[in-house]
Amino acid sequence: MSEQLLAYVEKESPFHRADALSKLLWVILVVLATFQFQTTLSRAMMFLALLFTALVVARVPWRSFWRVSPLIFGVAVLLGAFHYAVTPRFTPLFSMGSYVIFREPLEAGGAYFFRLAIMVLASFLLIWTTDTYQLMVGLAYLGLPYRYAFAIFMALRYIPLIQREVEAVQAAHAIRGRAVQSPLKHRFRLWQRYLFTVIVNGLRKAENTAIAIESRGFGAYPQRTYWKEFRWTRSGILLVLIFVFFSLALIVWERFLF
Amino acid sequence: MTSPPASPLVVFDRVTFYHFERTTPALNEVSFVLPQGSLTLLVGPSGCGKSTLCMLMTGIIPHLLGGVLKGRVIVDGKDVAQTAVKDLALSVGMLFQDPEWMFATLRVEDEVAFGPENLKLPRAEVYQRVEYALETVSLSRFRHHLVWALSGGQIQKLGLASVLAMQPSLMILDEPTANLDPATTHAVHELILRLREQGKTIVLVSKELDEFIAEADNVLYLADGKLVAQGPPREVVLQAGLHMLRAGVWLPEPTEIGLRLREKGKLASEALPLTIAEAKQAFSTLSFAPDVNSSPQSSVLGPPLIEAESIHYTYDRKVHALRGISFGVREGELVAIIGQNGAGKSTLAKMLVGLLKPSSGTLRLFGKNAVHWKVADLANRIALVFQNPEHQFLCDTVFEELSYSLLAKGITDPARVQERVVETLHQLDLQADAQTHPFALSEGAKRRLGVATMLVGGGVQVLIVDEPTYGQDRRMTERLMEYIRQLRQEGITVLMITHDMRLVEAHIERAIVMAEGRILYDGDTQTLFTLEEVIHQANLRPTALNSLITELRQQGITIPAGINTVEKFIQAVQ
Repeated sequence: MSEQLLAYVEKESPFHRADALSKLLWVILVVLATFQFQTTLSRAMMFLALLFTALVVARVPWRSFWRVSPLIFGVAVLLGAFHYAVTPRFTPLFSMGSYVIFREPLEAGGAYFFRLAIMVLASFLLIWTTDTYQLMVGLAYLGLPYRYAFAIFMALRYIPLIQREVEAVQAAHAIRGRAVQSPLKHRFRLWQRYLFTVIVNGLRKAENTAIAIESRGFGAYPQRTYWKEFRWTRSGILLVLIFVFFSLALIVWERFLF
Repeated sequence: MTSPPASPLVVFDRVTFYHFERTTPALNEVSFVLPQGSLTLLVGPSGCGKSTLCMLMTGIIPHLLGGVLKGRVIVDGKDVAQTAVKDLALSVGMLFQDPEWMFATLRVEDEVAFGPENLKLPRAEVYQRVEYALETVSLSRFRHHLVWALSGGQIQKLGLASVLAMQPSLMILDEPTANLDPATTHAVHELILRLREQGKTIVLVSKELDEFIAEADNVLYLADGKLVAQGPPREVVLQAGLHMLRAGVWLPEPTEIGLRLREKGKLASEALPLTIAEAKQAFSTLSFAPDVNSSPQSSVLGPPLIEAESIHYTYDRKVHALRGISFGVREGELVAIIGQNGAGKSTLAKMLVGLLKPSSGTLRLFGKNAVHWKVADLANRIALVFQNPEHQFLCDTVFEELSYSLLAKGITDPARVQERVVETLHQLDLQADAQTHPFALSEGAKRRLGVATMLVGGGVQVLIVDEPTYGQDRRMTERLMEYIRQLRQEGITVLMITHDMRLVEAHIERAIVMAEGRILYDGDTQTLFTLEEVIHQANLRPTALNSLITELRQQGITIPAGINTVEKFIQAVQ
């Protein structure tokens, strides 16, 4: 019964009110801009802007952000550290005792860290604030065949159910005790079983879901009705415009003024 | 009971079906006809072919799950073998056992609209159908809620609304109340009966027949894939009632008593009650012995093992699951923890095994504060069998699963492990399945293995079982209870979380009743059923046996105290 980490969270905020397509466009824009930035500072500023959007504009609770932070930062830190380690060093920036920090690895590590962290945070923000039905209606509005739109929609719909399944399996395994002396071996076995149980139950349930939706007429016709219309919203367009200007400003700043 | 209209909606003509790569048929030469506007109960023990039969009517079998079909199935004039599932969806709607996984959208109203949208209906009609379906199941005011914010009963109602919005000619409801508290179950049953009054054709699979058996037009009784009996409920019960009881079918207690008394020649042959009201009439001339042999209560209780004082627990600082509960459990007790869905029962169980720590209050386990216990250490003393035993399994065979538990308890001598596992397999009647994957066992065997994995290593003093009878037929339940009785004789204290009031009344001496995170009642089960206020607040309902005895006593019949099972009732009849 713990909080669902990656699911739509109902809140009253301008970000929630924005239409699903604008938000999807916003994610794409943020990611593209991040790949255009040339300095770690620009990327860091984009990350901070995203953080502000999440915590203030979208009113995502600190707690939710904190709980998913291992997902946001975990792989990003590893990727950043890897690139920091393998990038050739030429320009010393400063030193900490005998250890010298070079510009090139710092830039490379920072670039990978922020790119990934921004991509993940922007996607999570989309998930936390978007009713997936609206996203499906929006994608169908763009002309995407509804079966494809629905596949994305279902994947997002089942994240919380899978989270609940994983938690149940973890709790059940925790009280079984340890049959091998090595804690590592034990952990490996548990992970193996989490995966097995969650995959087996996931497949069974996916099959049940597929059967259930087909027996409710899904796929009966090449087109289907959407009883709610897609509408662009002012807050959505404003969100996209603000980030377009912000990204352009950062690009201009780092290339011509920095 | 309304008389069924003549025109058939469903025709099964000598239907035999083999599941993929199976040599034994799941259905064998099954023939029947269901008229339009009828309510049909599909009953039979676990694994008898009920779900197969339901899926044949929707076309899921053979189109999606494969298999070999012989004979003809006609639904709403369509030959199932020749009609695609999506086309049959216009005629048949099915509510599955776990509707949460059937839901495709996030919001209640979108979920109801999902089916009509797929049928490419105009928006205005989709809107009308959503309104009608939500209104019918009384969910209109929850229309904007997220589906995962609904209670268990509301989820079932939403499942029904989703089926209703398709406006199918036939509705198939597969165990729609399997995991609901008794009062919510009753509310869903009332809704089903209302739909039937509106002229819907309904096929219902349920083990809770009390409210339907007198209302149904037909009963189809399946056993081992064969249609053993069919017809109006009274005829079927008269013809095959004893067979049903022996095969593991749950019949309403008044009906079961009637059958047993008839068998013993203590009841006139024409009198077979289906309801409490009929039973009151039929049993009005019976006389009872002054007392019955009550099962020996565990008179000597040991020291306190669990002591809870003002325990609170809050999930994510938002959801108050436990609100200051206090109770104690002594060695040797058998206690039921009962109450409405979401009352905090499972939270309490997780706290007792150390998976959760109290937010405030004191919980002492085996004399030591719960906050100082490590989960692994506590697991040697107190065991929890989860509702879904599959979640607990860690190995690839039943044998390995039991060995794992022994190794986890530090028993490493291979000869001793072998000996103990073989002994347990024998005790569980699982010798033939020693090399079977635990996931491939029957539901009853999985449940028994789940209990055994927690106990095989020895040393466990308290066993907690979450919903032991979920998905179990009568025979499986009796077998599990027999196993639990053996465990108690070995000195193990047992706590059962359950919604099954028959189980509570028949087997359990003490009940802790919870509602909204609080304890409403803690005492003996017989007294509990006399406390209307508690029963109402905790969404419980007395068993049919209990209600029957109360009504007979109100008629002036003297019935001895302590009758809590059908067997004792029959023993008491002179």
